[in-house]
Amino acid sequence: MIKFSHKELIIPYFILFVILLLSIYPLLYMISTSLMTAGEASNQYMFPKKLMFENYLEVWNSNNFQKYTFNSIIISVVIVTGVLCTSIPAAYAFAKIDFPFRNIIFYGLLISLMIPEIISLLPHLLIIRGDIFPLPFGPSWMNSLKGLTIPFFGNVFLIFLLRQYFKKIPNELWDAARMDGASHFLFLRKVVIPMSMPIIVTISLFAFILAWNSFAWPLLILTKEDWFPVTVSIYSFIREAGTNYNLLMAASLISIFPVLLLYFFTQRLFLESISNFGIKQ
Amino acid sequence: MKNFFTKYSNQINGYIFILPAFLIIGIFGIFPVFFGMYMSVHKWKVFKGRFLGFENYQKILGDISSFCLFILGLLILIFSYWFWSEYKNKFKNKFYVFLLSLVFLIISLILINYSWSIMMSTGDEDFLNSLIYIFYYSFFAITTEVGLGLLIAYALYQKLKGKQLFQMILLLPYITPAVMGGAVFFLIFGKAENSILNEFIGLFGYDPQMWLFDKRKLSEILFGIKIDGFFAGPSLALTTSIFYGVWSYTGYYAIILLAGLSIIPSDLYEAAKAEGASRWQTFTKITVPLLMPIIFFLLLTGFINSFQAFNHILVMKTSSAGETMDVVTIEIFDHFWDRVKFGYAAAEGVVLFIILNVLAISQYVIFRKRLNYD
Repeated sequence: MIKFSHKELIIPYFILFVILLLSIYPLLYMISTSLMTAGEASNQYMFPKKLMFENYLEVWNSNNFQKYTFNSIIISVVIVTGVLCTSIPAAYAFAKIDFPFRNIIFYGLLISLMIPEIISLLPHLLIIRGDIFPLPFGPSWMNSLKGLTIPFFGNVFLIFLLRQYFKKIPNELWDAARMDGASHFLFLRKVVIPMSMPIIVTISLFAFILAWNSFAWPLLILTKEDWFPVTVSIYSFIREAGTNYNLLMAASLISIFPVLLLYFFTQRLFLESISNFGIKQ
Repeated sequence: MKNFFTKYSNQINGYIFILPAFLIIGIFGIFPVFFGMYMSVHKWKVFKGRFLGFENYQKILGDISSFCLFILGLLILIFSYWFWSEYKNKFKNKFYVFLLSLVFLIISLILINYSWSIMMSTGDEDFLNSLIYIFYYSFFAITTEVGLGLLIAYALYQKLKGKQLFQMILLLPYITPAVMGGAVFFLIFGKAENSILNEFIGLFGYDPQMWLFDKRKLSEILFGIKIDGFFAGPSLALTTSIFYGVWSYTGYYAIILLAGLSIIPSDLYEAAKAEGASRWQTFTKITVPLLMPIIFFLLLTGFINSFQAFNHILVMKTSSAGETMDVVTIEIFDHFWDRVKFGYAAAEGVVLFIILNVLAISQYVIFRKRLNYD
């Protein structure tokens, strides 16, 4: 830390204030527009004359919006569960179990980080349609929860983060556990997971936000509205001609809300892991 | 039998533990690239057609050999940097090393320029333009993000009250989903003449702009000169999407840079202060040089990541901005989604993949001494 006089602190405070204002302004504008009447919103007023909280009710009760929100919640929760179920054992194995070709397999999987999402989208689509090889549950996964979630169950980046954390757990613990006759699975469940709760929570948050934001993939594979997540419904809302901007903003605000809520509860961990990750790089 | 399990317990457990992740990442993470390559050499519209060989690539690049020349140019560009960094301290006379790497640099630029103009005249102009647009996007977005992030990190590094709160607010845009954030930007940067942004720039005496609906190039708007080609700069609409990128990622980079700042030993600052250095001097003479490795790394990885920007651009795309917002990801998406040319889109994807890998090589070359996955 550097200590400077109070006078010198004015400039940093000023810079920070301006930047913070800019970074929060779009969100504030979203809130203020969501409380306007349709006329005020299309004339782009700064503030509403009268707060129209009815907008939220109107959006909430209209056009299957509730269904879309619940769809998003279900999709995200399933993806988070799936990612945790595959990533935790894999990261543990890569960090702590010694087996042949361990590092080769790990670095091989890391390659998938280099592959842009846009390239995978097309083959994914064909896989999900069952064109390339027969799928286990049903001929096609189009328009289904399976298709929306299963492709995202494996995430190398999250395995990588977890592995870093697991590596720090001392080997003596495992030696002691093995003496007592514990299996790897028991050790993982009783010792490693409880010890790693901070990173697991962070990873779940990462995965949840990624899943909540997912947009191109649902847009591709959903031809019916049954499983529309909020992102897709808001996108089609934007594309409609003569959209009521106040309602659009109210809808956006409602659908950001779960992510913000999670963020507020876990922000300390989240900040920490971003900082650590930055230094590791 | 029991003996077998206890003897190979590590192996069995290891493989079982990684199996689910391995299967899913293998199928959905790695297999698609190879399948994309397979698709790209076929005529493929919804269903597989006949074998085409490199016909798709020929349509996209015009002439495949000039694309190879282009890649070679990029590699020589990286090589010139490598040459300079490797030998500048090994010889007494730095001048010749400098001269030689300068020669390599010039050769690479000539190669790139030459092969690009051939590709432009014979290949798919829309796709090649989309590569230029994504270059604009990535370049301007990442430099602004890291530059501003550095400023914020430095400001946050002082003993400020409410640091935690500042950090929390800084990351809010990063958390905001692209579709919803794009929706607000769509409103703020709309074409309404009385919009808040237009009234704000009106305070400084500027005319209201069409923002996302404006396909004029920046060079035309700022300097009033009409030029074509690479140096015309991004259109106003694309610039607006760059604003979005800056808005959403600056806080993220600021947090990482702040973490980097905290490992700089504080006695350096004490010493500088004792010598009577001003705040600006400590910033430019101590902070920036010591952070240079991290800054450089963030610039490079961020540049590669920005090449994949997609969601918010798709949301903010307007028809009156024309093709000036069709960055490479949008172009590929458009080809297989709207025009159902699967094989062609796959070939475009492979070209993008090759370019990204060349960029990744440069990352490896520059950071080879620091690269460590453990």
